[in-house]
Amino acid sequence: MNALDPLLTKTVGGSVGQTMSRLEAWEKACGAAVYTGDMVLPGLLHGAVLTSPHPHARIRGYDLTAALALPGVKAIITGDDVEDRYMGLCVKDETVLARHKVRYIGEIVAAVAATTPEIARAAADLIRVDYEELPAVFTVEDAMAPGAPVLHEAFDAYAKIYDASTRTAPNELSNSRLVKGDVAAGFARSDVVVERVYETSAQYHAYLEPSVALASVDGRGKVTVWSSTQSVFRTQANLNECLGIPMAKIRCIAPRIGGGFGGKSESMVQPLAVALALKSGRPVRVVLSREEDMVTQRARHPARIRVKTGALADGSLVAREVEAWFDGGAYADDSPAVMNFALFFAAGPYRFDDVDIRGHAVYTNKLRSGAFRGFGNPQATFAGECQIDEVAEALGMDPVALRLKNLIEPGDRWIGGQVITNSGLRESLEAVVRESRWHERKTAAKAAPVPAASASGTRRGLGVALTAHVCGFLSTGAVVRLAQDGSIALNTGAVDLGQGSDTVLAQMCAGALGLTVDDINVVAPDTDASPYNSGTNCSRVTYMVGRAVSIAAESVRAQMAALAAGMLDCPEEEVELREGGLMGVRGGNRTVTFAQIAAKSLWFADGGGPVIGAGSVMHNEPLDPKHTLLSGMVSFDNVGAFVFGAQVADVEIDEVTGKVEVKEAWCAHDVGRAINPGAVEGQIQGGFVQGLGWALTEEMVWDGGRLANPTFHDYKLPSTLDVPHDIHAIVLEVPEPSHPFGAKGIGEPPLVGAGAVIANAVAAAAPRVRKLPILPERMLRALRFGEDGVGG
Amino acid sequence: MHFHEPTSLDEAVALLASGGARCLAGGASLVPLMTAGAMRPEHLVSLRRIAGLDAITVDADGGVTIGAMATHARVAACDLLTGGNAAVREAAGQIAHPAIRTMGTMGGALAFAEPSADYPCAVMAADAAVVARGPLGRRTIPADAFFVGAMVTVLQPGEVVEALALPPARPGEAGAYLKFSRVDGDFATACIAVRLALADGAVTGARVAVGGCAPIPYRVPEAEMALVGAPLDPAAVERLGAAYAEAADPPSDFRGSAEFRRMILPGLIGRAVARAAARLTGDDR
Amino acid sequence: MSGPMVAVQMTVNGEPVAVATVVERTLLDVLRDDLGLTGTKNGCGMGACGACNVLIDGVAHRACLSLAVTVAGRSVTTVEGLAEGGQPSVVQQAFLDAGAIQCGFCMPGMIVSATELLANNPRPSREEIRVGLSGNLCRCSGYVKVVEAVELAARRLPAR
Repeated sequence: MNALDPLLTKTVGGSVGQTMSRLEAWEKACGAAVYTGDMVLPGLLHGAVLTSPHPHARIRGYDLTAALALPGVKAIITGDDVEDRYMGLCVKDETVLARHKVRYIGEIVAAVAATTPEIARAAADLIRVDYEELPAVFTVEDAMAPGAPVLHEAFDAYAKIYDASTRTAPNELSNSRLVKGDVAAGFARSDVVVERVYETSAQYHAYLEPSVALASVDGRGKVTVWSSTQSVFRTQANLNECLGIPMAKIRCIAPRIGGGFGGKSESMVQPLAVALALKSGRPVRVVLSREEDMVTQRARHPARIRVKTGALADGSLVAREVEAWFDGGAYADDSPAVMNFALFFAAGPYRFDDVDIRGHAVYTNKLRSGAFRGFGNPQATFAGECQIDEVAEALGMDPVALRLKNLIEPGDRWIGGQVITNSGLRESLEAVVRESRWHERKTAAKAAPVPAASASGTRRGLGVALTAHVCGFLSTGAVVRLAQDGSIALNTGAVDLGQGSDTVLAQMCAGALGLTVDDINVVAPDTDASPYNSGTNCSRVTYMVGRAVSIAAESVRAQMAALAAGMLDCPEEEVELREGGLMGVRGGNRTVTFAQIAAKSLWFADGGGPVIGAGSVMHNEPLDPKHTLLSGMVSFDNVGAFVFGAQVADVEIDEVTGKVEVKEAWCAHDVGRAINPGAVEGQIQGGFVQGLGWALTEEMVWDGGRLANPTFHDYKLPSTLDVPHDIHAIVLEVPEPSHPFGAKGIGEPPLVGAGAVIANAVAAAAPRVRKLPILPERMLRALRFGEDGVGG
Repeated sequence: MHFHEPTSLDEAVALLASGGARCLAGGASLVPLMTAGAMRPEHLVSLRRIAGLDAITVDADGGVTIGAMATHARVAACDLLTGGNAAVREAAGQIAHPAIRTMGTMGGALAFAEPSADYPCAVMAADAAVVARGPLGRRTIPADAFFVGAMVTVLQPGEVVEALALPPARPGEAGAYLKFSRVDGDFATACIAVRLALADGAVTGARVAVGGCAPIPYRVPEAEMALVGAPLDPAAVERLGAAYAEAADPPSDFRGSAEFRRMILPGLIGRAVARAAARLTGDDR
Repeated sequence: MSGPMVAVQMTVNGEPVAVATVVERTLLDVLRDDLGLTGTKNGCGMGACGACNVLIDGVAHRACLSLAVTVAGRSVTTVEGLAEGGQPSVVQQAFLDAGAIQCGFCMPGMIVSATELLANNPRPSREEIRVGLSGNLCRCSGYVKVVEAVELAARRLPAR
């Protein structure tokens, strides 16, 4: 493997590239894994929340008399208990809980801590809030209309991390644009121009573990918080911002996490637990019910995206124009960044000369939208990849041929100016075409065209989509320490949400030091002890943290080599790392063990002290304003490495009911190098199925401002019987030169293509549906009346 | 809340006569309502210790009686439910999920009368009767007359379901149950149950009941009658479907609009009838 | 919650236990809060997700839909009770080996369902496995490796 690229870290032993089960799999299988909701502390109080029944209202006051009178109630917090301190990733617009106003149904207005969950619940229900209802807006169109009720009157005063000067309306959060070339000229020279509107709906993360936090305060006022979070450091920052507690007095810990998918990046329940613990002086646990989690937390952005594409008669893609509207809900959360990320991928992995991409993120009186696996890219890819198929149809070309002709190649530049250094894109497309027998199936389908009404009442379609994504972003650190017995402590602050990063990081550390994962003590993320990590998101842990781990492990190796040279009485250059915790003299038999080296460092006057290696990484690859004109964008200084893939899906459509079923899928993704191939397959299969849910069954339905289906009975995730077993994960390895082991992240890409590939498969056999999810009703209306779900 | 576990039905009925009492069968529907705080009865009367209340027996006339406490899993696996009664067995096998079918009961599901549930239309098509026991004794209510509205039945306060009585499986008769739902295990967007009799290629009897498309399951007897005396030709089945779509009073909700439910009904009815017919003509499977 | 406490005796993971509870509390509440058996998870509280599946007299039930008072005199097996002598059961080991476990929150219920399925049907078809697990939601795996884990367990279990 190392022969593939000289830049790769030399690994010793077989830890890297090996399929192994999660380090913590056994404790999860036997019920011993401790999640936040499983923890108790002496004197523990239980929290309950009260949510707003109004989509938009001024809070005139609270009557807590009856609630406080309930025996067992120890603390109640409302907006009156918090200050005007704001948190938020892109815009600081949220307080601990609603203050002065509520902006969506479900917004938390009060929280109670009591001796039992039942008393807390009963007390919350006894709180009376005096509201003055205000007019509300539930759609982007209404929110952008002149004279629309304004959600955030103080918007201009909020701190932001992007240029908001381009906004055109009070409820418009951000308005961004990327321009390259001249699209008008591009369309003028095009032989074929296709323009369509595509829409997607709100999807709920549905991590199986609802949001939960446990907070306690010690005698010096230091707060400790165990919670289900994607980043202990992000949680610490949120608490610091919204409660004004110095970071020196906030310790955040992540025990086992029951899934996140982006929904647990920002901290919503942790501030409540801390505020209640501070007020009551006792530890407080806040566990949301599933319904509370659905109505109070966040969703994937509903999006409306207009895409226009111009091509020459020979199939050369020329120009792409996009305008996207992202419904951000009542608070900004990650909206500007999500929308910008969507714009970044709206031209797809194609060589367009002329590109003009605009986007808007807009406040509405609904649940906030935020980060969700793919971060805006699934919406953009759905629109863009559907349109590629529509262009192929207009040109009379095979969709695979059109893609092969235009796909971006190493050496090409992405919009924004980054140079694509290497790419498994073409290989991915070729792999799914080969494995799915695309050409054979298409030929067979052409030979037997679908009759107006088939005898079976079903029809089959095969579709393709490309995926482009990046892995990386922001900063991260790692500390590797040699323990006295020669084992290694690996401390990164990266939270394993279940995707397997603890195992993969241990594999990389072990590989760098010639050990097995059993020799690596993976330290649990803890802001008191761990080096900074921005979070488990952006498909970044394998890629970014892996780099930091490599630097730290390399430092430990070098320190050990220096000690070993003295112990072996040879020049340092002749010391080599050997498998099994040994260092030896090159070409000889003499060795010392890691334990002996550790003893030397710790106990001998000339040992130099403990062997500790540290690595810090910040990806630095700014967008190039000479290549692409940018306005209104969140800082994109450190995008990361590009990850490409291709997917094919085979679907069956029921002509009677409109129900679409995926029968088989092929997902080929270039992961650079699979540190743990089995775990990569799990990411691909799981990501594709989460995307399948978004494409076919999952839709948060709003009745005005009220979520009409806020339970697992009414909002439907796919079960075993709703997904195919044959989801073929095709793991391609084109080593990434910027990563010491050649690896890239794969958390998000499998979901990114799912909406597009399923929609394209449907459109291969039936009139196209341009709105996700393709619920049976939308499909049937397309079959019967040719309606595309958007009305475009 | 007080908990009671009577060992006889008479005792249960006496306990339920007191105000604020609620009958607990399997708990699959009632317990989540209690957990969510939507229901807080003062007395909870469990039927699980009443001997024989979960029995499935063959009557003297060949009919099958299913005790109220028979779980969906047992009904789904019951090989006594053949021929025209097959729809009831098939409906039981499609209720929610495996680990709910082990606890949910026939009596509980009927008394709950959820409009999108599986059993109601199945028992109606099967021409079953609900045997109820109350302070005034036992009475038998035809399934056609049992459901009054969404979540409402003719059961009076203090009255409980004792059993479901199914007619004998007669030769030349077949049943079928067809459910359409968004995903597996969901409540039905629409469901169809059929009891069909054929003789010499002609229909001699047909009962078709639809669930999920009105506050209660419904039949259209004139449309059923129109099938009788002739072979099952596509045009006749199409007229049947159209009549049921016309008679529907569907809700519009996140499972689909009223219009959508009307759109899918004729095709689903056609499939359900065809499935039952195939079982009689040997074309099944 | 109010009303009298009810004494409930049952067998949990082979051990007799006695608890006192109000009527409203579910078996899930008692297992987690009274008995400290937190392996069984609360994913939805209304029977939709399956994370709380336990065996009652060998049959899979939703602990969140079972009032504790109705389990009196019965035998409950939770995920903690599947291993023998600290060694994974065949089913648990197969879930490890197949790489089926990601976040793990659904796993206690999933493994309980798989254990029941294989006890009743040691040689299930793939479709029978998919039906048997259809009431257990998993948000991480896409179910592929979960189904493969059960197939692996079936291959390793002695035929009856």
